[in-house]
Order: sequence, then C-alpha cells, then structure tokens
Amino acid sequence: MTISLIFVPIILVILLNIPRLSGKAAYYAALAFFAWQFLSVFFPFLGSQQIADLISKFFNLNVYADGISKIMIISAAITAFVSLITSKVFAKRDSRLFALSNLMLLAAAGINGLVFARDLFTMYVFIEVIAVASYILIAIDKKDGALEGGFKYLIISSVATVMMLFSAALFFLVAGSTGFAEISLAVKDFGANPLVSAATMLFITALLIKGGIIPFHAWLSGAYAEAPAGVSVFLGGIITKTTGIFTLIRFFYSVVGFSENIKTVLLIAGSLSIVIGALIAVTQKDFKRVLAYSSISQVGYIVLALGAGTALGIGAALFHVFNHAVFKSLLFVNSASVEKETGRLDIDSFGGLGYKMPITSGTAAIAFLSAAGIPPFSGFWSKLLIILALWSANCKGFAVLAVLASLFTMAYFLNLQKKVFFGELNAQLEDVREAPLALTLPAMFLCALTIGAGLLFPYVLRLLIFPAVGIV
Amino acid sequence: MSFESLILFKCYLITAPVLFVIGIYAIGTTRNIIAMIIGLEIMTKGVTVLLAAAGYFNGKPQIVEPLIITMIVVEVVILTISAAYIINIVKKHDSLDTHNINKLKG
Repeated sequence: MTISLIFVPIILVILLNIPRLSGKAAYYAALAFFAWQFLSVFFPFLGSQQIADLISKFFNLNVYADGISKIMIISAAITAFVSLITSKVFAKRDSRLFALSNLMLLAAAGINGLVFARDLFTMYVFIEVIAVASYILIAIDKKDGALEGGFKYLIISSVATVMMLFSAALFFLVAGSTGFAEISLAVKDFGANPLVSAATMLFITALLIKGGIIPFHAWLSGAYAEAPAGVSVFLGGIITKTTGIFTLIRFFYSVVGFSENIKTVLLIAGSLSIVIGALIAVTQKDFKRVLAYSSISQVGYIVLALGAGTALGIGAALFHVFNHAVFKSLLFVNSASVEKETGRLDIDSFGGLGYKMPITSGTAAIAFLSAAGIPPFSGFWSKLLIILALWSANCKGFAVLAVLASLFTMAYFLNLQKKVFFGELNAQLEDVREAPLALTLPAMFLCALTIGAGLLFPYVLRLLIFPAVGIV
Repeated sequence: MSFESLILFKCYLITAPVLFVIGIYAIGTTRNIIAMIIGLEIMTKGVTVLLAAAGYFNGKPQIVEPLIITMIVVEVVILTISAAYIINIVKKHDSLDTHNINKLKG
C-alpha cells in the first residue's frame, strides 16, 4: 500500500502530461485516485499491494505504514477529493482544471510520502513536494492578495524547512544517519548532549512555524484567505496539518519521545494558540479569515493534546486532526458556496442567507457545532479525548482551559453564523439562490461524515485510533 | 579524532550556524524581496556545509553525497517558484519593496 500510494499519483501526472490530455480527463483521473486512496486503507485487496510489489522491484524506499499514517491517509483522501470538486466549480477554463488536478495529485503524492517516511531527510523531500505544489496552487489565479499571501507563506515556510534540515544535519552528526531508528537510539544515548537538544528545539520550532502556532502565525491567514476557494479547502483541511502537525506527532512518536521540557513547551504553545487564535477570530470581518484563525485555535488543541505526552494524548491529537480536516473542509466549502453565489466574503454585508441557501446554512451550523464540541458530532469526542488525556496526565489546569476555551470557539462561530446565515434577509440578497449541486453534495458528504463519525464513535475509536497509538 | 581534525571540526561547526544566522538576519531586515530569497539561499548553504561536515567526520561521505545533491535540486525548484512569484509581483506593483507590496491586513 505504501509505495503504490506514493508512485501512482506521480505516474498519473506523467501519463496525463505526455501526451497532454484534457482538463476533464485529469479531473476524473485525480478524483478516481483519491477515491482509491480512501478505499485502499480499508480494502487492501483493491490492487495496491500488487502495484507496490511491481514498483518495489525498481525503487527501494525507506517507507512503512502504521496506524497513525492510516488516519492521515484517510483525512488526506477526503479533503483532496472534496477540494478538487470545489475547485472545478471555480475553474473557468479547461487548462486551469488541468493544472489544478495535476498539482493536487502531486501534493497528494507528497502527503502520502510524508506520512509513510521513516527518515528525516525523506520527510524533508516530501515536505518540499507538498510545499511547492501548494505555493503554485495559492497563486494560480495571479491575484494581488494571493501573490502576496503566497510569497509570505513561501518565505516563512522555506525558512522553517531549512531549520528542519539544519536539525536533520545535526542529528546526522550525532547519529551517523537520518533514519528514525538510529536517531532515536542516539537520542537515548546522548540525550544530554547540547547538539541533540539544539537539534530537537530547532526541529520543534520549525514544525510549529509550519503548523501556524501562535507566535509564528503571521503567514497563515494571508495564505488561507487569499487562496482560490477550492485551494483553501485543501490548505486548511490537510496541507498545514500534515506538514506541521503530523510531522510533529511523528517526530515525538517515532523519534525523540517526550521529555518534561518538551511537554511544557507544547502545553504553553497550544494554550496560547487556542486562546489568542479564538480572540483574533472574533474580530475578523472576512469569512475565510475567521476560518483561518479558527484553524490556529483548533491546531492549538492538537498541540495541547500532544503536550499530555501519553499514548491517549497522541490518539486524541490524531482524532482531532481527522475531525478538523472534516469540519474545516466543510466550512471552507460553505464559504466557497457563499462566494460563488454572492461574489464576496465580507461577513458584515450578509444577513439571512439561510433563507436562500438552506443546505449551506444547515451544513455550516453542523460544522460549527462539531468544532465547538457539541455532542453527538465527532468534534465533541475528540475534544473529550483531549480533555481526558490532559486530566489523566496530571495537567488539570490545561484541561480546564481546554473546556473553557470551547466557549471562545462558540463565540466566534455564533458571531459568524448569526451575521451570515441568520437574522433578517438583507435586501440586496433577494435573488441569491442555493449553491450548485457540485458544492452542496460535497458539503452534505462531509456533514454525513461528521455525524457518522460522531455516532459510530466507539467503532472509530476501537478500529482506528487505539490501534494506531498502541492502546489495547 | 586527531588534534587537526578537531580544529577543522570546530571550524565547520562554527561556520554553518554563522551562515544560517546571517541568512535569517538578512530575511528579517531586508525590504527587498529578491534579497529575501538570497538570505534563504545563504541559510541553505549553511546547512549544506553542516551536512558535508557531518558526513566527513562520521566517515560516511557516500551517504551524505546523495542527500546534498537532492537538497540542491529541491532548492533549485524552490528558487524557480519564488522567481515566478517575484516576476508576477513586479508586474503588478512595479516595485521590489515590501512596503509598496504589503496591503494585506493581519
């Protein structure tokens, strides 16, 4: 499964470009790949193993699938699928659709490679693959704001990548290899060595920058809000979560383990992000900017869960990554619907859109409730797991903070929902209609996922989350 | 490790972070977007030096060589993308100064 999920998208991109096929063909090929990626996690007999055997005769990669990578593969497949469908609605020309499909396939190859990697240097290469694809995706319309937001993202994210590489080089100096196994042995042997601590701190800082955690969040809102509608779904749902947060989880889970200092850093960074992200989100006037700052706040929860430093904490973090991918993609799809129908995103200029766009409004409400942690939606369960993990790891103050900060989440989402969808119908919006089926269907699909994962929570927990982190 | 190679090792270990910090300083202080990319490149050169040194002093230059070559290739790709960004920004604003480009709030 591992190698085929990395190589099939790359081969697909080559086949689509030589000879150059039409945008429609590329679109359906990419959709088919994402669907196959999703299904191959649950049904290994769908051919992924055979293709992997064939490819591994030619290439030898240090990759390996475990439980945590499976959860990421599922989230990536869902988000990529939905975001490609959303992009198609906005792609006016065939060539644009072609470019979008190819770039998303490349980004998917990068994500799959990153989650399977067992080596810091391999991780770096795949992170750059994802980054390059997303830099192009953000600025694909060459709009003013997108160029600026994308350039900011490019500089800050590249600095983070170079920091990560610097720390990989330091680890090489100590361990004589960049493989996870060798490094974790070396960390055990020379844990007190200043080189090792410097490398660890550099690596964590780089990943916090990439994840958009609070002191390093400057790039995030620009990149999210200025990107084209479909690309925002992809960026907000999965790209920063894999390059930043998943790599962080992988780094602690497979490489260095948790020490007291690291836990403190994570707990403080996480709680700062939760509170400040939410406070900034309340003041924002742009629909997508509210979502961007809410992303910062939700990523804070993930980092906070990691700060617990236990297997339950890692499981909770992963589950929240999955839930965040689902409900944040759903909200970005809703913002795309609003943008498509009204042509703007300034939340003060709306009001009563719910009468005209019942499906968009309803699915948005469910996503809000899930994000704020209201049962029975899946967001409730992951927040509950986070709080349980913190409480049982004896970080009771932070557990209380996590509960109270849910009120902030409610605050900015209620503000958004009230200004955009509820209330009196704004007279200018009299002839707005419901978004096309290509936008409401993905929204309903994601909505069903949120409700489904919430109702079938015991199965999700027992089949995916607990095996992934080794809780029996 | 003999005395000479220890000194050599210290030279590398000082040069690499110095290059790295110069790069970060350049990115932080300049207002010219091309100079930012140059700062990024200087940082990367610091990492290259460190990687090469790490391979040499571990006695594993054959492992480090492909890593450095891969790194250079990836770096060229990033440079190309940033060049595309810069060309488009200059076409829109007719300026390389971040103060003239910066319109985004927050």
